[in-house]
Amino acid sequence: MTPIAHTRVGRPATQESDIRLTLPARPENIAVVRHMLGAVGQAIELSPAVVDDLRLAVTEACTNVVRHAYPGRSGTLDVVVRPEGERLEVTVADSGRGMGPSPDRRGPGLGLPLIAALADSFDIDESVPSGSRLVMSFMRTRRDPAMRAL
Amino acid sequence: MNGAEEPTRVSIVAGPLVGPVLRRVVGMLAARADLPLDRLDDAVLVADLVAARAPAHVAQATVDVALQSGDRSIDLRVGPLRRGGGRALVVDAAVPGVGNVIEQLADQLDIVSEGNHEFLHVRLSYDGAD
Repeated sequence: MTPIAHTRVGRPATQESDIRLTLPARPENIAVVRHMLGAVGQAIELSPAVVDDLRLAVTEACTNVVRHAYPGRSGTLDVVVRPEGERLEVTVADSGRGMGPSPDRRGPGLGLPLIAALADSFDIDESVPSGSRLVMSFMRTRRDPAMRAL
Repeated sequence: MNGAEEPTRVSIVAGPLVGPVLRRVVGMLAARADLPLDRLDDAVLVADLVAARAPAHVAQATVDVALQSGDRSIDLRVGPLRRGGGRALVVDAAVPGVGNVIEQLADQLDIVSEGNHEFLHVRLSYDGAD
């Protein structure tokens, strides 16, 4: 697994991507995202190990958005899935307050380290004008789940 | 769309992933709308037909659907479609010996023009007693 990387990355606009799901940032919609990832995994024949890691990492990212991005107001959760050759790239984004320390706990949570452990690479795109944008990449050919190594 | 909350929007490049993704998302939201099993099945069938037929009529490279689940109802807004694409999509969904499936399953079916594009609005609901 690669360590967490904080980078400014110039990526293609998300509307050019293969699948884009935009939902109200509410807890019940995380299940919709997980379900969608299962469909993609099945359609492009990902191994169960990759699907498990993908779902868990994306769930963590979506949970961060739902819990922290829009304190006291509603907003959207944006998930983009892009199969690219041997990799599957997933971006989770919001237009809320961006990343920062959680007001309801001391120190960082487990979400980002867990995502970093599960994904083959992981970037926080700091070029967005507002909100946060996490870009995770998973090798499609991986056979063993990263979870086993945790 | 008729609910107070923003709809769920799904945009998929026209291709083999449209069917699997749209079917799952529609099924999930139809279940959340507490539609009975028959109507949930109808909603998934409409999603499959949209996935199969819409790519020929979309205005751009993606199939875009906005979904809103309500009280025992689900609304699908398909588009942007090319001019004439709304009606063409519905006509394409006809099955020999069965007729037009979307027309038969929808409780409400509208085609709305916006500029040079069209949007197909399909509503499935259930108002019977359990």
